[in-house]
Amino acid sequence: MYKYSEKDKQFLVERVDQFEKQLNRYLSGELDEDKFRSLRLRNGLYMELHAHMLRIAIPYGILSSNQLRALADVADKYDRGFGHFTTRQNIQFNWIQLPEIANLLRDLTEAGLHAIQTSGKATRNITADPLSGLTEGEIEDARPYCELIRRWFNLHPEFSWLPGKFKIAINGAKLDETALRIHDLGLRLVKNKKGELGFSVYVGGGLGAAAMVAPETASFVPIEDILSYLESAMRIYNLKGRRDHQKKLRIKFLVRELGAEEFSRLVDEDWQQTKNDPDLKLNLKELESLQEDFALPIKPINLDGFKDKVDFNYSIWKKNNVRNHKTPGFSIVNISLTKLGSAPGDATSEQMRILAKLADQYSSSEIRTTKRQTMVFPFVRKDQVFDLWKSLEENDLASPHEGTLAQIVACPGRDYCDLAKAVSIPIATRVQERFNDMNKLLDIGDLKINISGCENSCAHHHIADIGLLGMQKKGEEYYQITLAGETLHETNIGKKLGPSVSSETIVDAVESIVNVYIDQRQNEEKFTDVFKRIGIEPFKEKVYG
Amino acid sequence: MDEIQNPKSLINRDYEQIPLVSFDEWIESPERHSRLGVGIIIEPKDDIYLIKDQLEFIELIALDFSNFDDGRGYTQAYFLSKRWQYGGEIIGINAHLDQLQFMIRSGVTSYQLLDSYQGSNEEDYSKGFSMCYQAAANNHGLNLQY
Repeated sequence: MYKYSEKDKQFLVERVDQFEKQLNRYLSGELDEDKFRSLRLRNGLYMELHAHMLRIAIPYGILSSNQLRALADVADKYDRGFGHFTTRQNIQFNWIQLPEIANLLRDLTEAGLHAIQTSGKATRNITADPLSGLTEGEIEDARPYCELIRRWFNLHPEFSWLPGKFKIAINGAKLDETALRIHDLGLRLVKNKKGELGFSVYVGGGLGAAAMVAPETASFVPIEDILSYLESAMRIYNLKGRRDHQKKLRIKFLVRELGAEEFSRLVDEDWQQTKNDPDLKLNLKELESLQEDFALPIKPINLDGFKDKVDFNYSIWKKNNVRNHKTPGFSIVNISLTKLGSAPGDATSEQMRILAKLADQYSSSEIRTTKRQTMVFPFVRKDQVFDLWKSLEENDLASPHEGTLAQIVACPGRDYCDLAKAVSIPIATRVQERFNDMNKLLDIGDLKINISGCENSCAHHHIADIGLLGMQKKGEEYYQITLAGETLHETNIGKKLGPSVSSETIVDAVESIVNVYIDQRQNEEKFTDVFKRIGIEPFKEKVYG
Repeated sequence: MDEIQNPKSLINRDYEQIPLVSFDEWIESPERHSRLGVGIIIEPKDDIYLIKDQLEFIELIALDFSNFDDGRGYTQAYFLSKRWQYGGEIIGINAHLDQLQFMIRSGVTSYQLLDSYQGSNEEDYSKGFSMCYQAAANNHGLNLQY
């Protein structure tokens, strides 16, 4: 498993030292509020409704068991004993005291964890498929590229003060678990006709009030030229982005206004000047070394004749939570943190420590996090899955919700977030209560519900089968419904169903939508397939009729 | 808030006083200004491409970094320093302490801090980190790791 070197850790310490000085200058009145805001965001620190929120990066969604223990320690020492796993492979702590920030960050450096650029108008944590390296048909493991690109844009002198935040996702798999075309910039690993490896580049995607699917700006950029191409894209954005309009800061507005073709032309024109600069070539030697670091820690094992245990609850959990691994003899195990009444993505320090211990025992000490706020054990021997399930069950972590409607994604919402217009977590709980019947959940199958408390769309509601967006109407909380968003096979933004629905009736509306789906589906049809076949009207009739 | 006042002139590395004109003034009559031996103040909004072919006639260039959140100056510094190899001085004016490391690595050759930073320990911020993860316009004295 890849780990930061001592030099990397020294860099993290220096960054904390610098931020501590800035924090002290702010506390003594030497640094004004606006500048400190800009600086603290670049260190992942938000002023929230009740306290300070700190966002720690989980690069490409991978944690070692020791890193998870370090996060558990932070939860106990500096927070209220829990953390919130986000949809973008970060963890957030919501009850942090300002004077303790530097000590908290310093505690994390030894574990190779940090909060650098987890917010602010710079390149954010670069996300990858949480199943990188594990599934059949992958072009290549995206994580070594994520790491090289993360390094390159880490406090990059030219691109640390962009017009808006800049989110990058990289996918090397057949299915798009990263939702790369809703990112500011998405990279898809591809091979050209000669079999050479490169990237297709998509720029200008995003959610929020003006959700957009990123157009392709380059169909093939050789891997060694990717840094110069990314620099050119960011350079055009840095110079031409809409800094004059607070609501048009993201690159999607620039791409839309210029047109994808003109934007691509400008990027290409700049890139022609730099693509041969040896300084900007991807370090292939370092890439090779990273590929070794990221190599799977397991070898195929022969389990011919192995018969798994028979147990009713285990079978349900296994059906929903366990996936095939490309390595014979192994399984991928999803652990849902979602339980009735608990906030989606929340984990207590105790749960984190239990998961760390079980990861040591069953998953080569590695844990991954997903955009559906679940935890993944990537290396579980098939003949140990039952034992793992037993241990999870003993610790109340064997929720069989993965891949069902009950695995709801929700942002912290108005309960915690200063920006939110409406609550998210209580709505998730009410939906879970309404569908609190495993037979029904199994009958409905894989149906994704995401709930965002405001247009910032942290819960990615636009790309869910059923998306709920919180808003205020005359002081009351309402929810706009979008249907049939998807990214896995193709990228489509969910379609608005109609007028927003009150908090009181939103769960009824969700149930009506689910019922239309169940009534109308043929064979094993997915929600998005039914929607494409029958259109939006039947759903409208049921909800508003 | 910082009170911003652009300088009328700057002292160059040879201790000569160089008068400054705005970008618009230069664009209006580059030939006249080049004869006068002036420097230019470039603001983030100014289209730096317009002076690309006139650089040899410009005594020095002052990039205005007064707006803390406006990062266009770093790209302007990159163009002048690395892409177009401008031989004169690139001076970051109205500079902020916390951004010195970014300015210097983007190609700014010297800087003038805003008055509000008087008495601060500049070295804490101008030296940057013991290593960096990318090549940039200026990599001098840095331990590269990428």
